Amino acid sequence: MKADERSFRIALVADRFVNPPPRGVDAVAAAAEAGWGVIQLPPDDYPAEVTGPLLAEVAEQVEEFSRHGYAFVVVGGHAGLAGALARVGVAVPDQITPATAVQLIDFLNGRPAPAAGWDASQAPG
Amino acid sequence: MGVAFVAHCLLNQNSKVGDGAHCAGVYSPVIDALRDRGWRIEQMPCPELAFTGLNRFWAVKEQLDTAAYRRHCARLAEAVAAAISVRVGQGEDVVLVGVEGSPSMGVTITSSDPLRGGRPEWPDGTAEHTSGEGIFVEEIRNALARRGINFPRVAGETHALADHDEATQRAGIESVLDNP
Repeated sequence: MKADERSFRIALVADRFVNPPPRGVDAVAAAAEAGWGVIQLPPDDYPAEVTGPLLAEVAEQVEEFSRHGYAFVVVGGHAGLAGALARVGVAVPDQITPATAVQLIDFLNGRPAPAAGWDASQAPG
Repeated sequence: MGVAFVAHCLLNQNSKVGDGAHCAGVYSPVIDALRDRGWRIEQMPCPELAFTGLNRFWAVKEQLDTAAYRRHCARLAEAVAAAISVRVGQGEDVVLVGVEGSPSMGVTITSSDPLRGGRPEWPDGTAEHTSGEGIFVEEIRNALARRGINFPRVAGETHALADHDEATQRAGIESVLDNP
């Protein structure tokens, strides 16, 4: 497992920060710089029948990561996220709606260490 | 330009099988190539993560190809197909970016070995052995408790243990059987 470079840190990121408009905050670049993974939240223009299953899958994956002590934050949020997470018994992580990339990177770098890690006492994940 | 539906792990290497994460989180070489050309990114779910978990073994296609895993993948695929349908209806150009060599996400190359399976090869008595109950046993315990039923006595076959001895194993089982 020594070669595995995962960070055990995951940001749940609104689509507008994954695919930012010109001069918008690029959360993918910020996450890459800070060493966080990204789970993208459904774009706002999807109809409810498309968004619902996508959010359910996000929640299921967050649930699995959470069971192993991975750290989460929410960037930007999504109207349906709290409900989807509640259905799998996971609390909404701390959230930020960043005005700048620097603000987001500082937020990510300032988060506490995740419970998970490659410590010898822990399994992968 | 258009919409690139990308494998989950390209944005989140934390989803990789153990020893498989190439970087901390975002696998930038692919993401940057798409974005530099003006493509939108839309991330697909990881089919292995929720089904086989974070402690899964590396696997070939034949090992994952069960009816249950197929149903799981079919459920996820319906969600992705619905999203792709929206984009196609909007006139967007759509691409799917997978992971070559993956038993789940390969797009032209997957992994295959019809003979692989069974016990992984590592020494007996290594550090994975620890006191405690297995998940199924724990769930049996919980289920019985909810019904007000005491957990029964237990005995174990010990063949996988480093200090396995057939005579000792037999004595242990007999002790449980003989002492209600």
